[in-house]
Amino acid sequence: MLTSRSFVKKTRKGGVMKVVREHYLRDDIWCGSAACTKCPIDKPVLEKEPVPEVENTLCSYPHYLLLDTNVVLHQVDILEDKAIKNVILLQTVQKEVKHRSLPSYKRIRDLIANETKRFYVFTNEHHRDTYIEIEPKESPNDFNDRAIRKSLAWYDEHFKDTPIKIVLLTNDIDNREKARNEGRVAYTVNEYVKAMEGRPELMDRLAQIETKERERKANDSDITAPGGRNVLYPEHLSSYEINAGIKQGRYKKGTFKASRENFREGYVSVQGMEKMVFIKGLANQNRAVQGDIVAVEMFAESQWTAPSTVIAEDKGSKEDVLDEDTDNSHIGPKKGAVPTCRIVGIIQRNWRPFCGVIMPAAVKGGTKHLFMAAERLIPKIRIETQQYETLAGNRIIVSIDSWPRDSRYPLGHFVRNLGAIGDKDTENEVLLLEHDVPHLPFSEAVLSFLPKLPWTITKEDETVREDLRHVDICSVDPPGCTDIDDALHYKPLENGNAEVGVHIADVSHFIKPGNALDTEACSRGTTVYLVDRRIDMVPDLLSSNLCSLRGGVERFAFSTLWEMTPEAEIVNVRFTKSIIKSRAAYTYEQAQNKIDDKSQNDALAIGLRGLLKMAKILKQKRTDNGALTLASSEIRFSMDSETHDPIEVERKVMRETNSMVEEFMLLANVSVAQRIRQEFPQSACLRRHPVPPLSNFEPIIKVALTRGFELQVDSGKALADSLDKANIPSIPFFNQLLRMMTTRCMTQALYFSSGMLPEDEYLHFGLASPIYTHFTSPIRRYSDVIVHRMLAVAISADACFPELLDKAKIQEICDNLNYRHRMAQYAGRASVDLHTQVGMYSSLPV
Amino acid sequence: MAIFITTPRKRHVCDEFTEPQRLVTPGATITADSDFMRGHGTYMEEDELIASVAGVVEKVNKLISVRPLKTRYNGEVGDVIVGRIQEVGQKRWKVDVNSRLNAILMLSAVNLPGGELRKRSAEDELKMRQYLTEGDLISAEVQSVFSDGALSLHTRSLKYGKLGQGIMVRVSPSLIKRRKTHFHNLTCGASVILGNNGYVWITRTPTEEEEAPDGGFVQNLQPVSDEDRRVLARLRNCILGLADHRMMLYDTSVIYTYAASEDYPVADLLNPDIMKDVILKVRQQLNQEAT
Amino acid sequence: MAGLELLSDEGFRLDGRRPSELRKIRLRLGVFDQADGSAYIEQGNTKALATVYGPHEVLGGKGKPLHDKVIINCQYSMATFSTNERKNRPQGDRKSTEMSLHLQRTFEATIQTHLYPRSQIDIFVQILQADGGNYCACVNAATLAIINAGIPMKDYVCACSSGYVNNTPLTDVSYLEESQGGPVVTVAMLPKSEQIALFKMDNRLHVDHLEQVLEVASKGCKDMYAVMNAAVKEHVSRMAKSMECS
Repeated sequence: MLTSRSFVKKTRKGGVMKVVREHYLRDDIWCGSAACTKCPIDKPVLEKEPVPEVENTLCSYPHYLLLDTNVVLHQVDILEDKAIKNVILLQTVQKEVKHRSLPSYKRIRDLIANETKRFYVFTNEHHRDTYIEIEPKESPNDFNDRAIRKSLAWYDEHFKDTPIKIVLLTNDIDNREKARNEGRVAYTVNEYVKAMEGRPELMDRLAQIETKERERKANDSDITAPGGRNVLYPEHLSSYEINAGIKQGRYKKGTFKASRENFREGYVSVQGMEKMVFIKGLANQNRAVQGDIVAVEMFAESQWTAPSTVIAEDKGSKEDVLDEDTDNSHIGPKKGAVPTCRIVGIIQRNWRPFCGVIMPAAVKGGTKHLFMAAERLIPKIRIETQQYETLAGNRIIVSIDSWPRDSRYPLGHFVRNLGAIGDKDTENEVLLLEHDVPHLPFSEAVLSFLPKLPWTITKEDETVREDLRHVDICSVDPPGCTDIDDALHYKPLENGNAEVGVHIADVSHFIKPGNALDTEACSRGTTVYLVDRRIDMVPDLLSSNLCSLRGGVERFAFSTLWEMTPEAEIVNVRFTKSIIKSRAAYTYEQAQNKIDDKSQNDALAIGLRGLLKMAKILKQKRTDNGALTLASSEIRFSMDSETHDPIEVERKVMRETNSMVEEFMLLANVSVAQRIRQEFPQSACLRRHPVPPLSNFEPIIKVALTRGFELQVDSGKALADSLDKANIPSIPFFNQLLRMMTTRCMTQALYFSSGMLPEDEYLHFGLASPIYTHFTSPIRRYSDVIVHRMLAVAISADACFPELLDKAKIQEICDNLNYRHRMAQYAGRASVDLHTQVGMYSSLPV
Repeated sequence: MAIFITTPRKRHVCDEFTEPQRLVTPGATITADSDFMRGHGTYMEEDELIASVAGVVEKVNKLISVRPLKTRYNGEVGDVIVGRIQEVGQKRWKVDVNSRLNAILMLSAVNLPGGELRKRSAEDELKMRQYLTEGDLISAEVQSVFSDGALSLHTRSLKYGKLGQGIMVRVSPSLIKRRKTHFHNLTCGASVILGNNGYVWITRTPTEEEEAPDGGFVQNLQPVSDEDRRVLARLRNCILGLADHRMMLYDTSVIYTYAASEDYPVADLLNPDIMKDVILKVRQQLNQEAT
Repeated sequence: MAGLELLSDEGFRLDGRRPSELRKIRLRLGVFDQADGSAYIEQGNTKALATVYGPHEVLGGKGKPLHDKVIINCQYSMATFSTNERKNRPQGDRKSTEMSLHLQRTFEATIQTHLYPRSQIDIFVQILQADGGNYCACVNAATLAIINAGIPMKDYVCACSSGYVNNTPLTDVSYLEESQGGPVVTVAMLPKSEQIALFKMDNRLHVDHLEQVLEVASKGCKDMYAVMNAAVKEHVSRMAKSMECS
């Protein structure tokens, strides 16, 4: 049966356009239950006898649950509990959830995919009996509620001959009343969960909202304070008012960043404004949380004020009062006043589950406690829990639910307990969670795609790959490295030139696109290096064994071979899949020693010396071009092998061999970048380093000026040259310090898809190369795997997969990789911080 | 002033009749027997006889052909035609006869004014336009068919020639029943020429003295009276109604329809509901006759 | 409205169809009496009207008659009210000319042109409401109109479009699904012999998926054929009955 839905839209030019769509009503949408005799379902989702796992005093009969939108939006934690099964989710509800909150939508989709949870999606909008049309003057919320009740009625009717009942779960009192008036069974989540026997901790997970239908607004979950508590914060504007205001220019949109020094202050970074706008006072912050997208109203210039010089931390007040800073609030122009504003509304919340601890309770035996997140910039969260005893002293995860106007702190609920504070595993877990690093062990599905041992090279492999086992190849890596992804060789030719080769582990041969192994690697994006642990991107069998170019064994590789003149000019370059046998796996120190040792003159030593010479020439060329050499304070821990506690801290020493390997890796990356860009003009996966804006350099220019050095920052070359000149002979560390500060001024290097940007933006500022990509570390970076696949297609060694041509998909993958890379860096640094603290703590005299 | 508005009507189906012979649609196999000869509306592919039009299968001994429901006029020798002059050419006129090609009326195939019998001279050629010019309606008979399918007409009888004042109605050629004569003088005072090509000419029956033996080149341009006009108009509406209901047109059906329509004023006959009643009556009458 | 979910996880499209289902088809033969053949078809919200004149004498100075076959003259036009925003130029723009050419070539392949030398057949198609699958509706309407005119054809020409979303091919794409930028393959074929008269593709499709999508489009054409054939049979039977009964 066909109806049509028509609605009227406004076009950009201000005209009105009528849109008419078809809407088919079907009678082959089934109820999804195994207990149903009327519907011919072959794969029923809902159980035949839905006996709840946990006895429920309210609903002691077998029943299915039907959820209202607010339950799905706010109470996902309850739904994820294994006590909740056999749930009917309506298409209307699902659409609304997707519209309002994407993270909740993702979580509910995961629940649906989980077969044991028995969640069934009922397509009620296309079912002939449950389709309703919007009545004039009916609000969208009312319409959705009516759709839910109609489906409920249909289900009741459908199951009236069976002992199974359908229960509506909602948080909306109005909806519950209306449903009860129609003779249905309806409860709020609170009532339902309270009635579950033996699961009091579920009560903790209940979100702190029970709203009335009339006052439900999309982005401001306020409660009219019962009992007349004081309203502390100003009201948030509705999204309509915000949009109108932004259009008219009264308000601006930006991201809220809390101040590290003073909890009462914050900044908002507005698009298009270079400097961030300042916010003073908790009332002006108006319940914004770090990372939220907010709408701000600028103050007049006379009201501008300056950041306070006092460092203040929130101690956590038990009372619901706003303890504003009264001493510093003068009115009138202050010295150093900056543009100031106040927040008038929240456009999008950035709430996620946070790790942290419960603060010590002032009152014993109470249920309301304050939670302090590990992330300092997040305000304290008020939670209700009965398990204070067990949770105190543990790291826990808490989610924010709402921040009403009369509450000093946001309200949240407890999600999970991680373990004791200070316990190394717990702390690592916190670190990984806070940085969103996927660290669970690889699933069965992923492991099933690994090749079976024993693995040998077959005749077939030999025909498609070039045999380079006779070439004297070696690898140079940090000590203790098991995932060797690169190896080099150098062979002088008769014509005076030399053949130089870079061989990279052929990971893309083992990870075929589309399978579970590939998806997991893509999601992880990179190997994360913590001090004591390494979270692998690909399972150990590949990373440390089959792909790793270990010494003395035959392995598959992807080789780049150049013919170069003694002046390091490239005559030609070719790429090929190959089989190699690395002669030896040296550390940087061993390689350096071999080069320096005049007595060693075997093929490898000659090769290494040749490589070193070439590398020096290459480096000089790059510096002439304007490449930057920066430094960073990287330190290494030497670990106690038993307790895995750090014993000593050492600075990394850069030897010539480090630089040698680096140069050839750079050369390989550039050559490959050029090739894949040629082959895939739209979707090549490249890496760029945008030129930093001049304002970024202001701090170092100031510092250099204090010592009398002028830094030129108009081009990469100018910067490199002036950095070289800025040397104080008496303080050798000064130059290094300056370089370290310059690192801070740089923008982030990013992966991108070549079709998304014009060619002049492919530039890599730091390396002064017009085009660059990552090719040389496929074992620990997923971008390299994609580049391998593209190069394989370019040399016709492999068939092209459709996803490689889709520039939007590649850009999506690049965005994920950028995110993971950034998070991995932060996690690495946080791990170093952690171990430094532990090391210092343990070395303190007892 | 009253305005008539009709809603879309359902198609009329006369259920009381049985399904006629086999119906086929293009692409449908008629028979796989290679014994048969193929006629119009079919083609052979890999030993199978396949229909190329949608219509009724006609089998005559070993010849199978498919007659489509509606088609352009395909001329046969001896058919009576009503046509309109399209072009004046060298020694010939091109006549539009609702066929796929224009028919040709040779100068030598017409009666010269005055009824002379002589060889056509160059002078005659130049005077062609005076006899028949573009836009004139003529009635003629098919003399022969050219190889490419064009018809060759002649007006070598006194009953054929240029047509004067009257009404021309266009219907589908398949609705005109093949009869011995196509010129009918009806009792109501009108004459009807049912051309085989689907063009029907309605005019006032000429009285005795008006019958001129001049080959029909001269048109009678005397004013036609109101009553005659009404008769002509009523006849036209009847014929259109019959065509609408896909009834075959021949003298009997036209006369019956005219008679049945006398109950209604002329203009009302254009109303589809009234026409439906009229036709129903006619059908019943014809059925009674048939049984 | 970016991010419209063309195919829900339960297997339903935006308008509630399953991926392999055609839109609702309504058609009528013999809409006009004046024309030799006419037909009207509605596929979902796409409405097309086709009229056929001919075969008749080659008119106008445009073409010279061909001595061995008939000239097929097609014209495709869209009514100004057929799209969301008023279309200012109903015909003569590039797209209309291209469509006309496609239609002409498609029908040249199936009409038995050798039967009518020195004549001309005119096919006029007009889109009254465009909601995706314009070309398909035109071809289907024109086929019916030609059958209605009694012009002999080798076989029906049925056309159907298909798209590809989330590794699933969709049959009969609507305007909303087309405008999301995914690949759209349009196929016009003769259902009995499964020969393809026209094959058109928009946007990019990887060659690995081509076979799947083509198969789905062919199935759509065959389903279309079933509907059209049934309608033609019914029409012919009704006409024949009323002609026979007098």
